[in-house]
Amino acid sequence: MNQADIPFLSATALGELIRQHDISPVEVTEAYLERIDAIDGTLHSYITVCRQEALQAARAAEQELARGEYRGPLHGVPYAVKDQFWTKGLLTTGGSTILGDFVPNEDATVVARLRAAGAVLLGKLNMSEFATGNSVHHPYGTPHNPWDLRRNPGTSSSGSGAATAAFLCATSLGEDTGGSIRNPANNCGLVGIRPTWGSVSRYGMLGACWSMDIGGPISRTVEDCALTLQAIAGYDPRDPYTAQRAVPDYRAGLTGDIKGQRIGVIKEAVEADFLQPQVQAAVMQAIADLGTLGATIVEVSLPILPSAAAVTRAILAVESATLHHDWIRTRLRDYDHNVQIDFLTGAILPAQLYYKAQQLRELTRHQVFAALQQADVLALPGSSEPAPLLPTGPGIQSKEDARQRMAGRRSFTGVFNLANVPALCVPCGFVSVNGKDLPIGLQLAGKPFADGLLLQVAHAYEQSTTWHTRRPPIA
Amino acid sequence: MADLSKDEVKSLGRAVGLDIDEPLLTEVTYNLNALRELLDSVNPPGLDQLEPLPIVPPHERLAHEPG
Repeated sequence: MNQADIPFLSATALGELIRQHDISPVEVTEAYLERIDAIDGTLHSYITVCRQEALQAARAAEQELARGEYRGPLHGVPYAVKDQFWTKGLLTTGGSTILGDFVPNEDATVVARLRAAGAVLLGKLNMSEFATGNSVHHPYGTPHNPWDLRRNPGTSSSGSGAATAAFLCATSLGEDTGGSIRNPANNCGLVGIRPTWGSVSRYGMLGACWSMDIGGPISRTVEDCALTLQAIAGYDPRDPYTAQRAVPDYRAGLTGDIKGQRIGVIKEAVEADFLQPQVQAAVMQAIADLGTLGATIVEVSLPILPSAAAVTRAILAVESATLHHDWIRTRLRDYDHNVQIDFLTGAILPAQLYYKAQQLRELTRHQVFAALQQADVLALPGSSEPAPLLPTGPGIQSKEDARQRMAGRRSFTGVFNLANVPALCVPCGFVSVNGKDLPIGLQLAGKPFADGLLLQVAHAYEQSTTWHTRRPPIA
Repeated sequence: MADLSKDEVKSLGRAVGLDIDEPLLTEVTYNLNALRELLDSVNPPGLDQLEPLPIVPPHERLAHEPG
């Protein structure tokens, strides 16, 4: 096989070729490292590339496989993680200069699990500062969208989106507080799942908002996503909020059979006046396609949905400001300008408004759970638009400008992190903007711990389309 | 709900030990007033009777719960 073709294989395919000794983990790792060298100077998806460590891990994997010590389908497969996760002996910046010299002495649980699975860490991926999602300045280079370099790959797991879409890793991890896995998945034509809160350990993950943070995979296919989630999910005594439940076999459900599954189309999302018509058309077609595949389509209502972004913003602002209490007072100017505004707002938000936001959060849960009584899976757009242009400058120009940033498409993702249910984004088409084809996504959400069902439905849809086979121009 | 003035926002900052100066003061004032306005406008029936329960629903078993 031509080494240049290797990165274009799925993580699943690579894992199988490695298992069969048709390809070596060292060859695969070298192919990705070469591609990173060739392309990432333009994309800035990586903050740290751990070349020597990756090759060492690849050689170790090769030797284990030669001895018959097979660890599983990710053995020898190269991956990368958002620079929000601790990696032992490797710089972990959180996308900030404040942690510009922080080298953890242990791995985050999710990284440790991927290492135990034999996967090969290529490096640490770029991100919005401390996963806030609003930062404009990126001290380690601004990540660009491989589909259109002038555009945002999606925040806050921007490097995970860019690197995975540009074939600079076989699979990746991001983290989702208010949409930070689903947004890059939408913008970059990828599959990303925000797992059920409590199903994946947060130990060793730099926090943004403790009650909504969770790590999860961003991959090029649903099967790759399932494979990656399988490796990281499960109880962790070091994160007391992880559930003591057996992790299901996520790949076993990828049969293509979704007959009888009830898909609840969220009225307030698909009828939103800010939803671009082309996006609406593509998402409704995707939902119709699910019907053709045997699902039953019903309409559901989430009246709270339009307010979900503001509720998310209030809770995130207060909880992240609390996490950054000391640095806000000692190193405020070291944060990105927009992050300073967000943290200061959270630090002074009146307590009764935070309480009201938590009441509204509980109301959101009630409405989402009620909808999930009428449907097995909820469906809506991943975003109201394809990837926007990269911001040209920081700052809030007016109260109306601020309002716009706490509304719109952010409600589409916010509603599910408030309810702490799993939600996934899968490609459902392309929108042509100024001569460039930009991907868009269908978002699916389900009951707590029904992550496998979301993957099952997404997989059935994916396999009936060719969206996931398209490559961005930079590829 | 009337907007807070920049002086009022500055006072809120002082109350928590933060000295918020320009240019941040203007933008924080915009941001805070926007958030206040948005939250103030959402008043579904029965909200006052709703308690913000823990984010993990009672029927879910936490890792540290006995049994």
